[in-house]
Parts: sequence; structure tokens; C-alpha cells
Amino acid sequence: MLKITIAQKLPMPLQVSLECLSGELHALVGPSGSGKTSVLRTIAGLRNPSTGHIECDEKLWFAGNDLRGVSIALSPAKRSCGFLFQQYALFPHLSALENVCIPLQNTGLNTGQKKSTALEWLDRMGIANLASRMPIELSGGQQQRVALARALARQPKILLLDEPFSAVDTPTRQSLYKTLAELRTDLHIPILLVTHDLREADLLADRITVIDEGISLQTASPQALFQKPRNSRVAELVGISNIFEGVFNAGNLTWDGFNKQFNVLDKGKIPPGTPVAWVIPPEGLSLHSESGATRIKSTVEHISTLGQIAVIQLHINGSEHKISWEASAAEVRRLSLDIGKATYLEIDEKKIHIMPLRPINDPRRFRG
Amino acid sequence: MLDLEAILLSLKLAFWTLVLLLPFGIWVGYSLVRAGACKGWIEALLALPLVLPPTVLGYYLLVGLGGGSIFGIPLVFSFFGILLASLLINLPFAIQPIQRAFEAINPEIREAAQVSGLTAWQTFRLIELPLAWRGITSAAVLTFAHTLGEFGVVLMVGGAIPGETKTVSIAIYDKVQSFDTSGAGLLSLLLLGISLLAIALSYGVLGTRKSRDR
Repeated sequence: MLKITIAQKLPMPLQVSLECLSGELHALVGPSGSGKTSVLRTIAGLRNPSTGHIECDEKLWFAGNDLRGVSIALSPAKRSCGFLFQQYALFPHLSALENVCIPLQNTGLNTGQKKSTALEWLDRMGIANLASRMPIELSGGQQQRVALARALARQPKILLLDEPFSAVDTPTRQSLYKTLAELRTDLHIPILLVTHDLREADLLADRITVIDEGISLQTASPQALFQKPRNSRVAELVGISNIFEGVFNAGNLTWDGFNKQFNVLDKGKIPPGTPVAWVIPPEGLSLHSESGATRIKSTVEHISTLGQIAVIQLHINGSEHKISWEASAAEVRRLSLDIGKATYLEIDEKKIHIMPLRPINDPRRFRG
Repeated sequence: MLDLEAILLSLKLAFWTLVLLLPFGIWVGYSLVRAGACKGWIEALLALPLVLPPTVLGYYLLVGLGGGSIFGIPLVFSFFGILLASLLINLPFAIQPIQRAFEAINPEIREAAQVSGLTAWQTFRLIELPLAWRGITSAAVLTFAHTLGEFGVVLMVGGAIPGETKTVSIAIYDKVQSFDTSGAGLLSLLLLGISLLAIALSYGVLGTRKSRDR
């Protein structure tokens, strides 16, 4: 298991803590420049934070704080990390086989054993036939497989993947998904994946840690993350489109700028009269052609159809609010929706998720 | 007639300059990539022989070393004297191409070596040195060819003692002074040939390797 807590102010602020279990694929997600790669480099020992604690399989790799300085900082060579670089970083003067032999240098194997071990890894990656090729003679996807074989040859305690899917075409990506899934069950080590693509993280990861401006905002399973983002920034980062603000008063949520109240359960932690952000997942919305006591009159403002999926933007009558709703093209036809047409929106109160306006580690989070 | 003694002396001087300067150039070139705040000053100092007139360097060596000796061998008007001068004047030719070659290595390649478990020495020997070999060869060719052609500083420090300090360049000058133009022409042709070969080596042979190494 990998456990890290790191903090620093310079050269860029970082405040990240996370745990990654053996056999777990943990995705680190955030926008460009949010510090995801810095976290990976810190774990690998390519840079050290000013304060922190990095532990893998109960062995301390780094320990230090601002007051007493660094007490332990193992060199990258001693950390036993498999690191897949974004641009692969293959040794350009060595063949694919020689590249994979490099991590076996200090393992006590003789030259023949090193070669056969390296060849086994290349074989496992499905590229044993390319062993004698130079990196320049390989395609991007093939280079990535050599780099992955190199990262794993030393039988590392953790595997760190830096944006592995960003520079490859779709078929290569699909086959890499498959390889990763196989490796995960075979190796049973923590795998940390950095990506800015949320769909990819959702598809592959057991858990996701959302990072923004160097701060880890939330760690959760993809499902929990989409349904219960911890704050409005997480909701924004995970691409939730229906984020609104309101005031929470002991189980009662008043929608800002619209005369509508919802009964929402909470754990009793939020003080009365607190401004909050709230989200409603797509499954909490439904459209009807007849009015009803709990239904909100809306006007269809925009319909964009993408194949079988249609995204409908509604304007809530009597307010400035807009809400978007995803439906199948058939559903759009059934409701005979059209631009400018009135419709009735039902919001399932039970599906409403309320959260602080600001990040959880911001002391102003409940003060608006 | 071909001055064989001068040719052999020039080759001996170029050989020893190369043998002594190349390891030093690799060490300095490698260290400069990681040098901190004083990097600019060190680089400027090492580049000084490029802009300093050789006669000026020769003059300071003559004045500075005059009367000095190592193991009883006088430093001026001796082979050791011109070797020392040659080492100094060739510093930029030996260091700069090597430094550039080490600088051109993508830092991620070094990091990949580190996370692959290599020690600093293994990273240098197995990764960085082979990747910098073009710069090292180019430094070797430049240093060798430049030493063969050096005139001013050798004349100032060594004079023109046959078999001791009279190199090919000085022999050419001497022959022209004594109206032996055909002898001077022959030696000049030899130096021209060597220079062409050096250029061909560094552009031709190294150029074709380049595309494969990238």
C-alpha cells in the first residue's frame, strides 16, 4: 500500500494526501497545471517536498517537515517505482531489449538472465518481435509498450503512469486499457494514473483523487464523485453541469433567485442560514407535458442532438436559471419538445446533493 | 623536402594534448551542465582562449613560467612548455562541444535512468556518455586539428628548436623565410589534408550517425 501526505509552498503550492491500495488503480485527475505530475515525481523521488511523509509497503521513502528538515529521503534508484513517462523517455541509443535490460543492472542477474527476463517482459507486452529495434524505429504505441516493460522489469512496488493515453491513437489506447486491466490483477501493486481526462478515470479507476491548484480536493469512487462531489469546485471539475446556489436552513434548501424550496437531508453539520452550492444529477430530473404541484414551468431554449443523445437546455420561468437535461432522441420526440415550447420540470429532492461553496480545507467554506 | 621531424613532433604534441585534455574536457563539460550560480563565469574563463590572441597567451606563459621547471625540465623552450600552452589554448575546443552534447540530453532520460535504479556512475557510463559521444568525437577532432595548426603560442613559448618545439606550422614559416617555398607548400598541403579530413570526420561520419541516434 502507498500512503502519501505532502505539502510545500514553492516552487508551486502542493497539499496532497492520498492512499493507494495494492491492486488498486487510483487516478489523479485535475486540469493542466494542477500539480498531478508533480505528485508522481515526488513519489518517485525525482523531487522532494518541504514537508511530508511517503510510505510504501510500510517502508518509509520520505519524511521531513519545515521545522526539522528532511530526515529520510531515499534516492529514486532505491524507491522501487515503475515510472511510465508521458513522452516515454526511452534511451535512444539502446534497442528495445537493451532498454528493458537497464533496470535489471543491479539485480545480480548475469547478462543472459537479464536478456531473457527483458525478453519475457517484451513478450508480455506483445512486442517480443521488436526486441532488436531502436526506439526511433518504433511507433508511439510500441514505444509506450517498451517503456511499460522497462518500468515493470525491476518488479517495482508501485507503478506510476503519467498521462499514458494522451499521445496515442484510439486503437492503441484501447489495447493499453486491456493491458492495464491485466497487469492490475497480475501484479497486485498500487497503480497511480495521472490523467486530465475524467471519462478515462471513470472507465479505469477504482478511486479518483481530484486535484486543483496543487490541492487534493476529494478522493472517492467514480460513482460517488459524480453523485456527491464534496464542493462546488469538485462538481465543476468533474463536469457536472447543473450546479446552483442556495441557502440551507435545517433541512430546507431555498434556491437562490427563484421562489422554490426543497426538503433536503443533511447530517446536521451545516449551520442554519448557510449559503451552499447544490447539484442535481441527470437521473434526478424528469420532464412532463402536464403541470403538477411539484413541477416547475420551464421553456425549452436549446436542443442539441448528437446521434441518439440530445441535450436540452431549459430556462426556468420566472428566474435567470438554466438547467440542462440529457435524454434520448426518442424521449425528445415523445415529449414533442421544441425550441420555445413550455414544459414541466420535476426535480427529485432526494437526489439533490448540497455542499460547501468553497473547498473543504478553506476555513471560509460555510461563510459564503 | 618534407620535414619529417616537425611532422612527428606536431603529431606527438597533438596526441598528448588530446590524451590529457579529453578526459578533463568530459569531466568539466559534464560538471558544467549541473553547475550553479558561477556557471557563467567559469564558461567565460574557459572560452577566453577563443578571443585572446595566441601571442598574448604565449607572452604571459613566457613571463609567468620563465625560469620555472617541473622535475628539473624547464617549462619554456621545451616540449613540456608547448604542451602546457597547447592544453590551455585548446580548453574551449575540448570543453564546449562536450558540454553542448551533455546539455542536449533530455532531462527525462536521466530521470528514467534514475528510476530504473541506476547509480550516478552507471547513468553516466551507460546512458549519458554514449549519448554525448558525438560531442566528444567532435571535441577530439577539433582539438587534434587545432593543435597541429597552432602557431603563435607555440612560437612564443617554445621558439623553433628542431625536434623539441619546431612544429609543422613553425617549420612552414621558417621555410618561407628561407625561400623554400616548395617545402613550405608540401607541409601546407599536408596540414590542409589533415584539416579536410577532420572536417569530413566531424560533418560526414558524425552526420550520418546523427539520424540514427535521434
